[in-house]
Amino acid sequence: MIPRHFQIGISFLLAAILIAGIYIIELRKGEEAKAQQELAGPEAPEAHGKEETIRILVAYDDDLALRWRNTRVFMPQERDLRAQAALRAVLAQYKQNPSPHPLPRGADIKDVYLLDGGTALIDTTAQFADAHPSGIVPEEMTLASLVETLSANVPGISRVKFLVDGKERHTLAGHADLESFYQVSAVHQLAREFE
Amino acid sequence: MAAVCAALLSLLSLSPASVQQQQSPSPSVPGPAATPLGAPGASSTPVQPGFLVVLDASHGGNDKGAAFAPRIFEKDITLSLARILRKKLEDRGVGVRMLRDSDVSLSLEHRAELCNQQRPALYVALHAGEPGKGVRVYTSFLAVTGPPVGRFLPWGSAQAPSLQRSQAMARTITRELQKRDLKATQMQAFLRPLNNVVAPAIAVEMAADGGDVRSLEDPKLQDAVASAIASAIEQARDHSGVSR
Repeated sequence: MIPRHFQIGISFLLAAILIAGIYIIELRKGEEAKAQQELAGPEAPEAHGKEETIRILVAYDDDLALRWRNTRVFMPQERDLRAQAALRAVLAQYKQNPSPHPLPRGADIKDVYLLDGGTALIDTTAQFADAHPSGIVPEEMTLASLVETLSANVPGISRVKFLVDGKERHTLAGHADLESFYQVSAVHQLAREFE
Repeated sequence: MAAVCAALLSLLSLSPASVQQQQSPSPSVPGPAATPLGAPGASSTPVQPGFLVVLDASHGGNDKGAAFAPRIFEKDITLSLARILRKKLEDRGVGVRMLRDSDVSLSLEHRAELCNQQRPALYVALHAGEPGKGVRVYTSFLAVTGPPVGRFLPWGSAQAPSLQRSQAMARTITRELQKRDLKATQMQAFLRPLNNVVAPAIAVEMAADGGDVRSLEDPKLQDAVASAIASAIEQARDHSGVSR
């Protein structure tokens, strides 16, 4: 015969284990949801400025083509924010489902810095590079579409450098050079190869 | 025909002598002094040949390259293709060095350094990728420049003086691929480490046939691609005037 006080003690212990288990499961769910949210990143550019029709260059994997499209975007007045809005409009095309050129949901433009002398620095999220499909063509099409769109919507840019989460990288996903500056005139030529 | 002759004539300058002439005044490209093509598993022909080709099976080790399926990685396809190509070149009496002959990691800088130390007549990087079909032959996207002035070349544009010869080699390979009924395209790319190589340098990329990634592992396809590349390189060697 088990003493009564021992039965009560075991009951309390089992109840405590059950409650702790439920708490841990809930905690994990919360962390996973937070991680998913971080991975997804900002989904759409914030609606600042006046809505305008802009030209963006979009990559199409099916026929290895880059094509100009018109799209409606809220464009701020400031040059750097206009640049960011135009580039985000390109990435929005790639993150939709179905996508002409799939990129991860967390791929985004963190900042664009426009320097004197026509130099632009495009800072992307880590997911933009970490989860970018690896291959010469997909990587070059992504970079060409961004550089061409930037050049078309923000006049006076002659060369572009890509950063990933504020730092330099050797390549985008194992192929396309991210160490060098992209001369806009050379990217025009590359884009023509895909048109 | 005239275009063929022009391409072959432009390859006349691929002889080691001319490479030596071009490189001697500009041994700028730094590298570890005591690394004799030191990638573990790298292989070489036993005798120092007159016309040397450096084969670079891209990626390797932790760098898998493109992942086509759970167990089909670019690094394995490039190594398989490189081994077939090495055999075909050696059968033709062309000297070959492979930057890697096993599943090892090599940085892009190290690949260029190892290649430059060999002073090769040609550097060939092998890739496999999606989308599209056929074979794409790439050269660097640098602007063509004249012979180097002074002793040093900028690391980021070391390829520029060799670019015209790289383009001529790419044309010859593209033609050889087309002769074998393979869809072949010549392109330019911002692709590393092409910019850092001081010899004629090209990259060859096999694409999955109609999205069928298993086709990349097809020995027949790899053999046909390797045969075309080897044939083009043999022509370049023969026109360079270098004896076997």
